Amino acid sequence: MAVTERDPARDARPLSWIERIPGRYWLIGAALLVMPVFASDFVLFQIFGWTFILGIIALSLMFLGGYGGMVSLAQMTVAGLAGYMVAIFGESAISAISLNWPWYIAIPLALAIAVLFGTLTGWLAVRTDGIYTIMITLAIAAAFFYFVRQNYVMFNGFSGFNGVLPPDLFGVDWRGPKAFYYLTLFWAVICYLAVLYISRAPFGLALQGVRDNQRRMSALGYNATAHRVAAYAFAAVLAGIGGILLTWQSAQVSPGTAGIGPAIDVLVIAVIGGMRHPVGAFIGAFVYVILKTFALDALVAVGLAGERFQLLIGLGFLVIVFWSPDGILGLWDRWRESRGKDPLLDRGGEGP
Amino acid sequence: MRAFADRHPFWSLVILVLAAVLLWMIFAIWPDWLEDLIGRKKVFLNALFNGITLGGLYFLVASGFTLIFGLMRNVNLAHGSLYLLGGYLGYVTADVTGYWLLAFPVSFILVGAFGILLQIFVFRRMEGQDLRQTLVTIGISIVMADLMLWIWGGDFYNISPPEWLSGPMSTFFVTGAKSSGELVYMKYPMVRIVIFAASVVVGVGMWLLLNRTRIGMLIRAGVDDRDMLSATGARIQLVFVAVFAFGAGLAGVAGVVGGTFQSIAPGEDVRFLLASLVVVIVGGMGSIQGAALGALIIGMAEQFGSVYFPTYAVVLTFLIMVAVLAFRPQGLMGRN
Amino acid sequence: MTEAATVSDRLSATGTANALELRGVSKLFGALAALEDIDLTVRPGERRAVLGSNGAGKTTLFNCVTGDFLPTRGTIRFFGEDISAFPPHERIRRGLRRTYQISLLFTGLSVLDNVYLACVGVSRSRFSFLRPRRDDALVASAEDLVHVVHLDDARDTRVANLSYGQQRQLEIAMALAGAPRFILFDEPAAGLSPTERRELVEILNGLPDHMGYIIIEHDMDVALRVAESVTMMHNGRIFKQGKPAEIEQDPEVQALYLGGGHG
Repeated sequence: MAVTERDPARDARPLSWIERIPGRYWLIGAALLVMPVFASDFVLFQIFGWTFILGIIALSLMFLGGYGGMVSLAQMTVAGLAGYMVAIFGESAISAISLNWPWYIAIPLALAIAVLFGTLTGWLAVRTDGIYTIMITLAIAAAFFYFVRQNYVMFNGFSGFNGVLPPDLFGVDWRGPKAFYYLTLFWAVICYLAVLYISRAPFGLALQGVRDNQRRMSALGYNATAHRVAAYAFAAVLAGIGGILLTWQSAQVSPGTAGIGPAIDVLVIAVIGGMRHPVGAFIGAFVYVILKTFALDALVAVGLAGERFQLLIGLGFLVIVFWSPDGILGLWDRWRESRGKDPLLDRGGEGP
Repeated sequence: MRAFADRHPFWSLVILVLAAVLLWMIFAIWPDWLEDLIGRKKVFLNALFNGITLGGLYFLVASGFTLIFGLMRNVNLAHGSLYLLGGYLGYVTADVTGYWLLAFPVSFILVGAFGILLQIFVFRRMEGQDLRQTLVTIGISIVMADLMLWIWGGDFYNISPPEWLSGPMSTFFVTGAKSSGELVYMKYPMVRIVIFAASVVVGVGMWLLLNRTRIGMLIRAGVDDRDMLSATGARIQLVFVAVFAFGAGLAGVAGVVGGTFQSIAPGEDVRFLLASLVVVIVGGMGSIQGAALGALIIGMAEQFGSVYFPTYAVVLTFLIMVAVLAFRPQGLMGRN
Repeated sequence: MTEAATVSDRLSATGTANALELRGVSKLFGALAALEDIDLTVRPGERRAVLGSNGAGKTTLFNCVTGDFLPTRGTIRFFGEDISAFPPHERIRRGLRRTYQISLLFTGLSVLDNVYLACVGVSRSRFSFLRPRRDDALVASAEDLVHVVHLDDARDTRVANLSYGQQRQLEIAMALAGAPRFILFDEPAAGLSPTERRELVEILNGLPDHMGYIIIEHDMDVALRVAESVTMMHNGRIFKQGKPAEIEQDPEVQALYLGGGHG
């Protein structure tokens, strides 16, 4: 894992990067690539598209929480703001407000504003320590929700924007199920790899150092506050990408997109999946989307009202927090460990 | 107070001048130019009174929150749910028995008991894990919100105060003068004044409890330095349970008050959770005086905001919060 | 900007200014004075031992110099520059380093990664989003430092699996990262075996001549072998300063400190 580590085998004959990727990555990668061949449009667009998008937003929280030790509830707000900005600078059905600028200006501008907002949020949140972060970011999320709901000049108030569509690039309709699947998959993979890579780069290492022992990091010359704020800025890039994709998926953005409920949902996703590794964000998102899509039918089938979905999510969340603080990833690790203790197999829990 | 004046002579002067202006605005008969500028005095006085009484309600909710936070470092994000539960229980009690006053002790005891269960079965099992405790409270609030929706549905409930409290009350505040020279006095709902007085009594009571009793000293010592509390050999678990029960009970009582002032419905839990968060951030975490000051500021900001700049009333509240965070991150009355 | 300032300070400061200059430094914790009116001057390249019983204020002195907490009164100059109000990381970036009495290491990382973090901390790649290449200069200097403290064999070991003595050596390697100008060693020999002690003395004596330090040490033998001057502290005050030989012969010192347990 370690950056500076050098195992003797690699020194002798450097492995090419292809050989260093574990086998299961190839398997999952191949499955995801050929998915559109056999999966229905609904599965591609609703299940996987949504999973990847929520996964990206939860990933931004995982980066802050897992590597930085800062649990921010404002990541959905950053995502929502990016969505709003795309609607305002680009095209939407609300022609009185939308500026209809070309996508290559609107999208970077939207991301830049989201990053600015995320950085400011971080700057406010890191002024106090640890557990206060969750309170402050929740309050900021709520403020954003109420503000956009009441502001009609820029944010079109209660109804927000509809008809926000992805640009017609290369003559492809990017909201078509297959195209949208690949679009979201592409960005999910990019974001996932970026987080994985940065976690072992100096910035990511230092962030984890600040999480574990801020005082020690200061004594090594690091400015802990600056590192934390920078982490918020990077997380805002991820959340912004997720927010733009989310807006395109539903073709609309409204105050409800970035309300308190969705803000909490992102936390639920990240915690259910597990905050120790970036893949947890996507596992959590997948579980959440499956539940949200099928729980209604399942609940009705067992004789309960479909609205009890929230109860299910809440109880599931409680169970995870109670028994496996590292989420589903933690359960997985424990299972492997218990398997590894099998005396007949006689091998450690370490996988390939 | 004296120390503050010595350290910040300029700000003391500003506060003094503002207080004088406010007093004048409350007691004087407004000249025409002022009415032209910001509207009628009656509107102003009403906003002021509503702000103060709303502040009283916020104080009831937030003081429990801040006490629990200060002592146990537990950001109880289910606090709003406790408020809502108290409101529903109070409604049922008042509805079934017909006694409005009975709603208060019933809510206090039941919600307080629920708080005890939470403390013993949930928080004690993950002591010292701040983040995990907070996550659990989120889960609890999601579950509670849905259970309450299941039981009581999405309707608005209003707890009606008894006859002798429901009318308006004449006050000695002058709102203006008729052309005949006769003075017009302000009328204000009796129940709001009574409830505000009650929350002042609760506040003063808490202050006395914390500052004049042994258990209060223990709690304050625990807020300042939690290691010390366990070092004194105090039965710390008992103190934790008591404080959690009391804080939860207060939220329950506040629910009854809120149900009488306004109404209770799904979503009010989040609203009052946020109000508590903002009040505590502005006032200073773990400080009862801070909660009182913060509640007053936020209550006033909301009411004056909704009268004088209706579109951005809520945003005003959060602007205050951001300003406090930027310049005094520990809160107005908080310590470093 | 800071880097540039550091360089110019270094040019103007070297030779003329003292490495460390404390004037009237006091630190109060409530009513308790942990440090009282400390005046201390250390020349560039000088090696100073600070001795004193527990609670004499030695570690508090270090904490004030590195900015872990701010002194209640007094000024601290580092190579001529007033650093009294600087946050810790700004002082570190000017060439000041320290080790901790209780090891504060990143136990989940390897030895080399710990040293690498220390090297990055005083470089410009603190915020780099790029992983180091094979021939990265910082990795190379981290490897050198691991060699300097004799930890080559444990280079890729997780810190949690190191022996106590090895952890102390690692602390020293981290303090040496990025060409420091002055180092504060907080009891580096505490808890070490005689062999490890000899190794420590060897490492300290092998440091380049221009690298001055202050070392807190209980063991007089170690202190006298690695320091050319001695400062005695007692109850938050400086009590005696001088050459090791003078201090050792001083009757007051002998009565107070060397009376028991010498050897």
